[in-house]
Amino acid sequence: MTGMISIARGNYSRRVKLFVILVSALALLSFVRIWSDVFDLTSRGTISAAIGLAVPIGLAGLGGLWSERSGVVNIGLDGMMILGTFGAGWLGWQHGPWMGLLGACLFGAAGALVFGLATITFGVDQIIAGTAMNILGVGFAQFFANLAFSKVPGGGETQSPSIPALPAFSVEQISDPLVAIHDKNIFIVSDLAGILSGFFYRLSILTILAATLFILTSYVLWRTSFGLRLRSVGENPKAADSLGVNVYRYKYIAVTMSGVLAGLGGAFLAIAASGVYREGQVAGRGFIGLATMIFGNWRPGGTAIGAGIFGYIDALQLRDSDGTSLRAMVLLGALILIGLAILAIKKNKYQTVFGLGLAGAVLVSWFLMTTALPKEVALVAPYLATLLVLAFASQRLRPPAADGVPYRKGEDR
Amino acid sequence: MRRVIKIASVLFAGSLVLAACSSSDEAAVEENAAPVVKVGLAYDSGGRGDGTFNDAAAAGVDRAVAEFGVEVNEVEAADADGTPERAERLRLLASEGYNPVIAVGFAYSDALAEVAPEFPDTTFAIVDSVVDAPNVGSLIFAAEQGSFLVGTIAASASKSGKVGFIGGMEIDLIKAFQAGFEQGVKAVNPAATISVAYMGPAGDNSAWNAPDRAKTAVEGMIDKGVDIVYAAAGGSGLGMHQAIAAAGGSAKGYWGIGVDSDEYVLPARAEFKENIVTSMLKRVDTAVFDVIAGVVNGSPLTGIQNFDLSRGGVGYSSSNPVVSAFASVADGYAEKIKNGEITVSSTLTE
Repeated sequence: MTGMISIARGNYSRRVKLFVILVSALALLSFVRIWSDVFDLTSRGTISAAIGLAVPIGLAGLGGLWSERSGVVNIGLDGMMILGTFGAGWLGWQHGPWMGLLGACLFGAAGALVFGLATITFGVDQIIAGTAMNILGVGFAQFFANLAFSKVPGGGETQSPSIPALPAFSVEQISDPLVAIHDKNIFIVSDLAGILSGFFYRLSILTILAATLFILTSYVLWRTSFGLRLRSVGENPKAADSLGVNVYRYKYIAVTMSGVLAGLGGAFLAIAASGVYREGQVAGRGFIGLATMIFGNWRPGGTAIGAGIFGYIDALQLRDSDGTSLRAMVLLGALILIGLAILAIKKNKYQTVFGLGLAGAVLVSWFLMTTALPKEVALVAPYLATLLVLAFASQRLRPPAADGVPYRKGEDR
Repeated sequence: MRRVIKIASVLFAGSLVLAACSSSDEAAVEENAAPVVKVGLAYDSGGRGDGTFNDAAAAGVDRAVAEFGVEVNEVEAADADGTPERAERLRLLASEGYNPVIAVGFAYSDALAEVAPEFPDTTFAIVDSVVDAPNVGSLIFAAEQGSFLVGTIAASASKSGKVGFIGGMEIDLIKAFQAGFEQGVKAVNPAATISVAYMGPAGDNSAWNAPDRAKTAVEGMIDKGVDIVYAAAGGSGLGMHQAIAAAGGSAKGYWGIGVDSDEYVLPARAEFKENIVTSMLKRVDTAVFDVIAGVVNGSPLTGIQNFDLSRGGVGYSSSNPVVSAFASVADGYAEKIKNGEITVSSTLTE
């Protein structure tokens, strides 16, 4: 009983903490926007683009989450995404975007079943099977794209004809007044309005679907007995087995779901983002998705935040033709470091204080000495940010206990 | 467990049979007894249907097929291909008797330098690069001159005085497009500002295949007041057209400028044609056709072949009638470039 109360209290204080973090992040962003005079930091266009760039990564990350929660490390997500883009292009071009969506799910699931056969039934090393999956995905899509598209008008060996668009929504009645507030340049208020306006602007129906899938995953895996069993398979398959849980079946369900989600990520790229299948359009997003899942501590909310951060920085740098937005990001990074240093003073960790403070000071002076960042920095910025965040967050992370360990019924390992 | 293995092996065997079936119809192409010129064409990644560069080469081959009845074998590079894969592809074409063998794209440079000496009796050609061998024609283009002309059109057509440039991979070849474009814009409107975005650094082949990222970049430019954008970004250029169409297109004063092929008439760009004011033409089609014609007539083109403005190797397209309003300015500059009054630099000045 006391345990339950403390859990409840823990939840409560966690929510307060989350709220404080969100508000201070917003205040920080607003402060940086005003100091650096870069309005694009919280503009409707940036947020809308960030959402579009975050969705495929987030879906891949969610796919990874399903698989790893059942104890299967799935680095084959990238290959499954590629299969998804091909499925979306092949069926989408001929039968419309909804069939394309279905095609992407089916192709992703098919890839996942092959991967599952290798890892779950045959117990192949999961990293090797995943690498094979990535190679297979590329080769399969290349070969069949050549057969399917090379003789079609508007298509080519590496590109499908254009796929009809899915509906996208703009709610001008909400979005436009919010943009007006954003343009008034009020501390915090304008930024909140700008960010909100992005959510009501050119929102693809696939984005809404993706958000729903995040919520559903969170519910199914943490609020149902099915989810409890699935997660128990990833924590201790032997114990789960002894309690009558069919470990193989749960792993197959999880891995297939992972392929479906990765395929959907591919479908978003092909149908909503590009309007065509193009060879190489996935460009390693499956791996970035895995990184966001680790950043998110194998939980849907954290994964969504990770994908959002990546999408946001990527959107900023893509829209930033003069290098000013990224200069503002340097200031933001500096202020975060200095903030962490101040928190560390309270804990009497003076070495950390010194290190963080120094890094922060270097970044601030870099900000003051430049007017724009070079393009080379811009292109790597999202990856650099992911790497840094992962490096700092990794000590607090806890993967499923039996993640990556092949399971053999009735055998001691 | 044994049953699973059985099913898996049956599936595997079945897929092998299917794979064998699909390759058999290529083997069915019969050798022709008549001495037909067989053209081997190796595309860069993107291939036929990329809407720009490779499609221009395809147009040249299609013309040669229509005029001379030559036989063509087209192969295409993958994104991840390095020099060994590309060399093997050229070697395969040459050893199967294709002559000329045309490599489309600078990425074949090292591969061709390796393969050309192995087949001294075959005429090779490479687009966009110089390979020093007696049997190679190096087809290079004064892209900066053509880009200069579309730059003058962009500056004349822009209401806001803000124009944009989308580059594919950040390499000297594409920087020449940017340099020429900027000089052309400044020649007409010295006060104009030019926003520039590249889709990837040197070596990142995904830069040519990222229409979604190009779309985001152009949206950012439009939000800053840019109303006309020039893309030299291969398959990523599609994203520019999508962003301009989403902003309202030509009806609202937003225009795109195509590259390499006349994008106004391309099937792959049909839904965007009303927003394409002009295209910088890099006559890869002319060059490819000339190489084939040279072999057909028994006088192969070799050495450095510079297709510049005066040779008709670059220019701008006037298939969209709206461009006629700006043509007199552009043609005036074209004359000055031809007679040497203006020299267009192919490098950026910074």
